[in-house]
Amino acid sequence: MRKRLIYGVCLVAIVGLAGFSLYAWHPAIDPITPPSADQFPQEMIDQGEMLASAGYCSTCHTSPGGQPYAGNYEMHTGFGTIYSSNITPDPETGIGRWSEEAFIRAMRTGVSRDGHHLLPAFPYEHFNKMTDHDLKAIYAYIMTSVPAVDEEKKANGVPFPLNMRWLQAGWKLLFADTAPFEPDPQKSDQWNRGAYLAEGVAHCGACHTPRNAVGAEQYDQMYEGAAIDGWIAPSLTPSNPSPIPWRQQDFYTYLRTGNSMLHGSAAGPMAPVIHQGLAALPDRDIQAISLYLSHDEPSQVDRDEALDAEFHEALQSALTDQATIPDARINEGARLYATACSSCHYNGQHLVKGRPLLTIDSSTHLDAPTNLVNVILDGLRADQGISGVVMPGFRDALSDAEIAQIAAYLRHTAGESPWPNLQQQVTDVRQQPRFEH
Amino acid sequence: MAQFILNGQAVVAEVDADTPLLWVIRDELGMTGTKFGCGIGTCGACTVHVGGRATRSCTTPVSSVEGAEVTTIEGLSEQGDHPVQEAWQHLQVPQCGYCQSGQIMQAAALLKDIPEPTDEEIDGVMSGNLCRCMTYVRIRAAIKDAAQKMKEADNGQVA
Amino acid sequence: MAKLRDEANGSAGISRRGFLVGMTALGVSFGFPTAAWAAMNPANADGRVLPDDGRAYEPTLWYSIDEAGQVKVNIIRAEMGQHVGTAIARILADELEVDWDNVDIIHVDSAKRWGLMVTGGSWSVSQSWPIYRQAGAAGRTAMIEAAARHWGISPKACQAKHGYVVAGQRRISYGELVAQGVSRQFSEDELKALPLKPNQDLKLVGQAVKSLDIENKTNGQAIFGIDAQVDGMVYGCPLVPPTRYGARVTAVDDSEAQTVRGYQQTLQLDDPSGHVPGWVMVIADSFYAAQKAAQKVKVSWAAGEASKVSESDIIEHGRRLLKDAAQGAILDTGNVDTAPVFDQASTQIEQEYLTHTVLHAQMEPLNALVFRNEEGIWEVHSGCQWQSLTLPWLAKALDVKEEQVIIRAYLLGGGFGRRLNGDYTVPAALASKALGGKPVKMVMTRPGDMQFDSPRSASVQQLKMAFDADQQVVAMEHHASAGWPTQAMVPSFMPAGVNGEKYDPFSIAGADHWYSVGAQRVRAVANDLANASFRPGWLRSVAPGWTNWALESFMDEAAHHVGQDPLDFRLAHLKAEGRNAGEGPIAKGGADRQAAVLKKAAEMIGWGQDLPQDTGIGIATTFGQERDMPTWVACAVQVHVDRSTGLVDVQKLYVAVDAGVIVDPNGAEAQCQGAALWGLSMALYEGTALQQGRFKDDNFNSYTPLRIQQTPEVKVEFIITDAAPAGLGEPATTPVAPAIANAIYDAVGVRLRSIPMRPADVKGALSQA
Ligand code: FES
Ligand code: FES
Repeated sequence: MRKRLIYGVCLVAIVGLAGFSLYAWHPAIDPITPPSADQFPQEMIDQGEMLASAGYCSTCHTSPGGQPYAGNYEMHTGFGTIYSSNITPDPETGIGRWSEEAFIRAMRTGVSRDGHHLLPAFPYEHFNKMTDHDLKAIYAYIMTSVPAVDEEKKANGVPFPLNMRWLQAGWKLLFADTAPFEPDPQKSDQWNRGAYLAEGVAHCGACHTPRNAVGAEQYDQMYEGAAIDGWIAPSLTPSNPSPIPWRQQDFYTYLRTGNSMLHGSAAGPMAPVIHQGLAALPDRDIQAISLYLSHDEPSQVDRDEALDAEFHEALQSALTDQATIPDARINEGARLYATACSSCHYNGQHLVKGRPLLTIDSSTHLDAPTNLVNVILDGLRADQGISGVVMPGFRDALSDAEIAQIAAYLRHTAGESPWPNLQQQVTDVRQQPRFEH
Repeated sequence: MAQFILNGQAVVAEVDADTPLLWVIRDELGMTGTKFGCGIGTCGACTVHVGGRATRSCTTPVSSVEGAEVTTIEGLSEQGDHPVQEAWQHLQVPQCGYCQSGQIMQAAALLKDIPEPTDEEIDGVMSGNLCRCMTYVRIRAAIKDAAQKMKEADNGQVA
Repeated sequence: MAKLRDEANGSAGISRRGFLVGMTALGVSFGFPTAAWAAMNPANADGRVLPDDGRAYEPTLWYSIDEAGQVKVNIIRAEMGQHVGTAIARILADELEVDWDNVDIIHVDSAKRWGLMVTGGSWSVSQSWPIYRQAGAAGRTAMIEAAARHWGISPKACQAKHGYVVAGQRRISYGELVAQGVSRQFSEDELKALPLKPNQDLKLVGQAVKSLDIENKTNGQAIFGIDAQVDGMVYGCPLVPPTRYGARVTAVDDSEAQTVRGYQQTLQLDDPSGHVPGWVMVIADSFYAAQKAAQKVKVSWAAGEASKVSESDIIEHGRRLLKDAAQGAILDTGNVDTAPVFDQASTQIEQEYLTHTVLHAQMEPLNALVFRNEEGIWEVHSGCQWQSLTLPWLAKALDVKEEQVIIRAYLLGGGFGRRLNGDYTVPAALASKALGGKPVKMVMTRPGDMQFDSPRSASVQQLKMAFDADQQVVAMEHHASAGWPTQAMVPSFMPAGVNGEKYDPFSIAGADHWYSVGAQRVRAVANDLANASFRPGWLRSVAPGWTNWALESFMDEAAHHVGQDPLDFRLAHLKAEGRNAGEGPIAKGGADRQAAVLKKAAEMIGWGQDLPQDTGIGIATTFGQERDMPTWVACAVQVHVDRSTGLVDVQKLYVAVDAGVIVDPNGAEAQCQGAALWGLSMALYEGTALQQGRFKDDNFNSYTPLRIQQTPEVKVEFIITDAAPAGLGEPATTPVAPAIANAIYDAVGVRLRSIPMRPADVKGALSQA
């Protein structure tokens, strides 16, 4: 997920600190004979499978079209290309010879079995929040149920000196929150369950929390939104620019179905999070995460998704805030929209389930057009957004100028001030490496 | 290779992932009711349903519909008697007929979402479907006719 | 290629390949006898023609009756939205006295026996009317004679009704008679002498009917040219050179295309017929592969002269030509000696009107499937409007005799005149020829189709009118210059004017109007620069689409000049006198009939009423296509003009039509609705420009024909007269643009003289007013 890590030169300055060397050094943990399946209770394996899914491990550890968990998923970062590791139980190329202890150490501290530091693309500072019990379950699952694949990891393209693994240790020391998860006694069990899942296995902050210059999460701005993989992970806090605040039931619907009628569809990197990741969690866990993210208390997710009065008001005002729609005969964006988009996006005053009303969709209200442009360019596959439904892509159909006109039109009708240099931004988004999953 | 459900049947097409669904349906699977008009999503001739939604198949790579349910004009109804098709026949909407598969698929999707559309709503949703024979006046009338028939059928069921 | 899963295999619905098998089962006696696919029935799934039930009797060339009494009516016209088969078959069935349920429509191939095969000019029904009535009468007569013989009574004692011959209590079906063997044939003279039913006895003509092709056009079963397929075919996607003429390939590099799965090769077409110079065809296993590979094949061309020519050059050139009085042909309009009248005129007015390039943009991109069959015949599977024009081109391109080429009938996904020019079949034929007769299915991309269009040429027209001291009109001149399709493609069709110069009648018709204006000079001038820079085409209504734009705008200006109501002014000059009296079965009644539709349209819209601010009504009238086949049309529109944006909202679009007997009222209404909306589209929304030999727009992202959003309320009313039917495919196109311009003038007082009239033009005119 975290492909765009930024390493600052300050890392280099740390070199030489004697105490640091000690800190940075970790012994190798002895290889073991791969454990047999009967060593683990089935219940534990099942639990592990669910958690591995909820942590969407395979998303980053599987290359497009490759074997599950065999790694070599390519991530483009500002400092070169990196490839994920093979975490199948293959003894030679995977983690077959890792003991449970080695696995837990890696998950908690980002240190490989052989003692080398893993790149912080691996969100161990989140997995550290998980209980031993849960980590062991994931270990049990991988060792017993994931087919071993003999696949050598490709060499990372990170240049010297950033490729010096022990530098990662300094980064860790300075930036990683390695504190274990502490429940908040003021909050309900359900809220705490949501917090545990979101901060831990689901590692929401890895994408939604802004990072500093060296790529570390800025915990004081938790969930405030960030750029990631050529997309914007929008803010999960009230700073989200959506004209209708995210309610608990909106989070729930979104996380469960991949779409919220009021905010849009899970596209880009978020799509696998929902459809390959969180899908494994039971409803009550999704409800817990929704409760945690919405800061609501007590749970409201059981409230009917039907539009209640208060919400209706917010919606009405959002809809009236829509600027008057320019006439398609004199506005190119309006014309192209009517031509290519309105057959599915019934804009106007009509809220139809599963048909994102783009004037209130988060993509038209974000500060950057990135998400909107990404979706116009490449659409949505059946396994993204709402399952089984697709949006065509216009990459080969419309020019940058035309896409910019459509985006400008939508931005206008959403009642927002224009995005600057829009056409150039479209060109940039078109040229960035395509997110593939 | 792509696998999906076409008009209720599982199909496999051995094509490149970027092949537009339109050409897979027409040339690989031999269903020619879906038409090619512009190839860039601006005429609606290629409209099919994916997951029940009107979708332009010319700009939808087949890889996008992996596992999805695709319905073409041939599969809209068993006997060609979907209320929209019946209204189209009754009012004799088609002229050359070339755009009409797309128009019908689009109208069927519209009526599912907005069962009693106003003229403005019809115009808004149907404006992506070009008809060079300019059958628009009858398209509007036929959509209303179908809406009416569907409503009557619904009421009939309740009674 | 495609592989269906086992459970899907064998499912009838899933493969169209069965279509071919079905078509080969055909045992027809017409068309090209030895090959399959000789014909197409648009009412049957996949266009299949079902075999006759037992023997079939052919009273004339135009149909057969089988032992079940089923009548197969042979249609030589292309079906492109007019439901032409339905209209023509009804003429025959009515006269033959058979029920509509027993009628099949058979669109035939291009075999010689059918004579001239062309679908255009709104001629189909008008020209078929006498022929199919005679044919029907022949069958009816044959059936009655056979029954009389069977019963041993006089034919006079027998009557034909609903597919039976009846005499008192006795009756026998046509089918039974055919089974007994009927062989009666009719000579030309016999045919002409046959009695026809009086109009008032016609039962099918004029009655509502469901067109036989409608159902298949709603369920995906209709087969268009683009759906044609034969086993073993390869796909071709052409690369269209930068200019229509004179382009030469200098280099082809297909190295990048090699990476495309399914790519086969790139052919440089060698065209002895001269229709597609400089064309390159990319061949692949599938159309998508061909299209994808075509994007990767790099072709360098030496472009033709047209690469220096743009729209404004064409228009400027037209102006220059018009300035030279020696240019062009003078039409025979009676007294053409206008100069002395103008010299003595008390006042005169003069205006210039422009139209811009319009593309056909029919919805089905051009395509053709061509191969050499086992008999060595070249089969061309493609929708075509003018087989008789296209066949010789194909023969020349293939270097074979015309008899060795056959064009199979398919539905056309829109014609509008584009497929009168069958040039698009040539590259497919050349590609097949280059591959030794292998089936090549060429499909053009939308941009390819549009760049290769034979568009409606831009036009320049200058009109003058002279008035005497009493403000009476004493003379009129109409000078028009445009690219001439007929000159480009069928020069033999060009008649000579009174000055001996040849002219393209399709490029001036309409200017020779039915108003009595005293001395009248109509001059047609070919824009040779247009002809050299692109291939002008016949586009729905052709010249009447531009001549009437000028004429009917000008008539309004003339009315205002003399301070008269535009309706009264027109009516005052529509008098059925002299050459405007109208003669013959179609044109009888002349200008009186035009006056009647004009009054009707005025009445429909409420001419003369008070209207809200910036709202106006405009009116215009035309006679459709040609003086010898006038379809009297009048159009009234109500518009509102937004002064700040220049947006013209057409609120009402009403059309009154007199085309004589209306054969298929439902189809007639549809044709008029469609044609009127084409008129609206060309008036306000569509138009492109030649830019260095290419068209500025080549897909629907920027070429913007009317969409449903801009479609106003349309009403069509017919005045039914007993004149023989005229045509209906085009005429309603012609009065719309001037009616709108006249309405804009009525609403806000500005006069627009160039179409399309886009918001910026309206705004611009308002700012200068
Ligand atoms: S062919 Fe797909 S929208 Fe035109
Ligand atoms: S019916 Fe011909 S394009 Fe619509």
